[in-house]
Amino acid sequence: MARIVTLKASDGSTVQFVDEVKAQGGVKDVMFSPDGGYVVAFFRDKANPAARERLLQITGPYREKMFNQDGGDYLRNLYCWPTAVVEHEGRLGVVVPFYRSCFFFEYGSRNNDMLGIRKKEKVGKWFATPGHRARFLDPRELGDWMRHLKICLMLARAVRRMHMAGLSHSDLGYNNCLIDPTTGQACLIDIDGLVVPGRHPPAVIGTPDFIAPEVVKTSHLPKEDPQRILPSRTTDLHALPVLIYMYLLYRHPLRGDKTHDVNDSQRDEELMMGANALFVEHPQDRSNRIKAANAKASELPWRDTDRLPYTITGPYLADLFLRSFVDGLHHPGRRPTADEWETALVKTVDLLQPCANPNCEQKWYPFDNTRQPKCPFCGTAHRGKLPVLNLYSSHAKGKFMPDNHRIMVYDGQSLFRWHESRFIFPNEKLSADDARRVGYFVQHQGNWYLVNERLSGMRDVRAGQDIPVGEKVLLDEGAQILLSRENGGRLLVVQMVGN
Amino acid sequence: MSRRLLTYLCIDTSGSMNGEPIVAVNAGLQALLGSLRANPYALDSVHLSITAFDSEIKEVLPMTAIADVMLPEITCPKSGATLLGAALEHICEQTQRDVRKSTPTEKGDWKPILVILTDGKPTDTLAYSEVIPRLRACDFATIVACAAGPKADPSQLKRLTDHVVSLDTMDAASFSKFFQWVSETFSKDSQSRGATSSVELPPPPAELNVVL
Repeated sequence: MARIVTLKASDGSTVQFVDEVKAQGGVKDVMFSPDGGYVVAFFRDKANPAARERLLQITGPYREKMFNQDGGDYLRNLYCWPTAVVEHEGRLGVVVPFYRSCFFFEYGSRNNDMLGIRKKEKVGKWFATPGHRARFLDPRELGDWMRHLKICLMLARAVRRMHMAGLSHSDLGYNNCLIDPTTGQACLIDIDGLVVPGRHPPAVIGTPDFIAPEVVKTSHLPKEDPQRILPSRTTDLHALPVLIYMYLLYRHPLRGDKTHDVNDSQRDEELMMGANALFVEHPQDRSNRIKAANAKASELPWRDTDRLPYTITGPYLADLFLRSFVDGLHHPGRRPTADEWETALVKTVDLLQPCANPNCEQKWYPFDNTRQPKCPFCGTAHRGKLPVLNLYSSHAKGKFMPDNHRIMVYDGQSLFRWHESRFIFPNEKLSADDARRVGYFVQHQGNWYLVNERLSGMRDVRAGQDIPVGEKVLLDEGAQILLSRENGGRLLVVQMVGN
Repeated sequence: MSRRLLTYLCIDTSGSMNGEPIVAVNAGLQALLGSLRANPYALDSVHLSITAFDSEIKEVLPMTAIADVMLPEITCPKSGATLLGAALEHICEQTQRDVRKSTPTEKGDWKPILVILTDGKPTDTLAYSEVIPRLRACDFATIVACAAGPKADPSQLKRLTDHVVSLDTMDAASFSKFFQWVSETFSKDSQSRGATSSVELPPPPAELNVVL
């Protein structure tokens, strides 16, 4: 039995750990506390004053700035933030809360966990590799496409909040984002590497597959070279869309079949992720397309970009993917911000439709903007009438402008405060009261209705009638429903598709 | 097709390995396979081949994706020579056959990895000397050699590679540490890269002696 070490931490607390390396990261060795409530991660490099100062800042002022504000409680679930710094045998360590249980496999792999991964961390790579999903993971671990979308939303929100505070993560990737596809939760870990521009330079350049092209391209230069580019906020804005693309489409946006160096696979890899990086779905340059014919059966249809192009993620995300992987790939300043990703993901949730096929693994898909929608994953067509609600909001009295935001209706779908007013946004600052639904949709004898639960100013504009709380209104082609008379209040304009 | 990472394990089954050492090696291989299967990166790319050598060269496991590997029980005769040179010649032929080269239209495999485990010194010294340049030409990404027990000769292995580790004892604990270290070399590519350090093997655990 390994011995237990007791230390005094930077915040005055007593920290204990079992002196036995339980896990190893790129730069750290991880030990567990005797009760398993937290871990102590020691940097393998010798302690130095700059590193100590940085860790003290992260566990002290930055941590307080993050969590002692509006929404702090909500944010606590989005990060595994180190709480204190310790020093032992000349090495620095950080005390980090243990991950929540939802981030460990409950069932693991198929056939009574043939791979022996039960109770291990849910590393994102498992879920973003189509072969692993199809052949190895227990189906109960897979979640559905809505949960995957929610994971992306949580990640975008976590990154956006960090960037708002002037911090950048600098090492986003599978290994540093815990995800739980069964509930749609996500959590950023390894916060100790975060970068404060101008104060704390990055210690790592990132994790392969997620390092921005400009960083890969200059990684051979010495760290002091002015041409060398190190991780920053804008490189986070490369890693974030790579993660989102992979969690939604189970393939890497740059890993195509173009060969950059025939003789040296390592060099080929560096060019593919660096100087020659090219989106596999570039609209004009098709030279890096994935050859679906070379893919294994278990990798299809995901590696077939003609069958599942990025545009199936809906118009808001498709636009941002283009800006990230075409316009912004080699122009960091043009990459969409984390805030834009968060907004687009929230809006995409409203585009979701349940798939009619009970065996569809994805179970949800974004509306494809056609009159006869069908699930892009399994090909099942939508049955029945489908109302599409287009959102407009008031900018001056009686003047409503389109918001480029749609809500797809399905049984049990809800209406929320952020649909009622363009000034309300669902994020960590949303009050508990505003998070409650204000209305819901129900299908009755082939017709769709919106039931008003909490909107005092709802009105059927066409009929010129108020719809009091507890009443319902029919959704049919051309219907106009005002949700609020306040400034910024929304007007729904109904289109009907399907049959 | 995604790139494969071909890994050649070359295991000494000469007479001196009989008994506890070979049992420990079998257990170590089982553990190595288990940890590779639990690693989603390795599961996606690593392929394994095992060659056993004593007075004969036996390819006990042809190149197989780790998801499909059924590990054979490796046995050794009561006595026998250590034909390491001949074994490495066989490995050279295998790489010629197995490694898919890149073409302008298709990506080839990663550079392969070779792991050698021996408890003695090569008895076919001439063949051994001759195979060294050929082996270098095979363009391995990494060659790791393990000199197990007191009779192993690390200096011979140093001619092959800079990565030579030696195990003082040939018991289950030290073999398991060695195989654990080998399995960690497979996860390094998926881990964060330092801003200053170059890409290297992870540091060996304290119980292994790295021969300098």
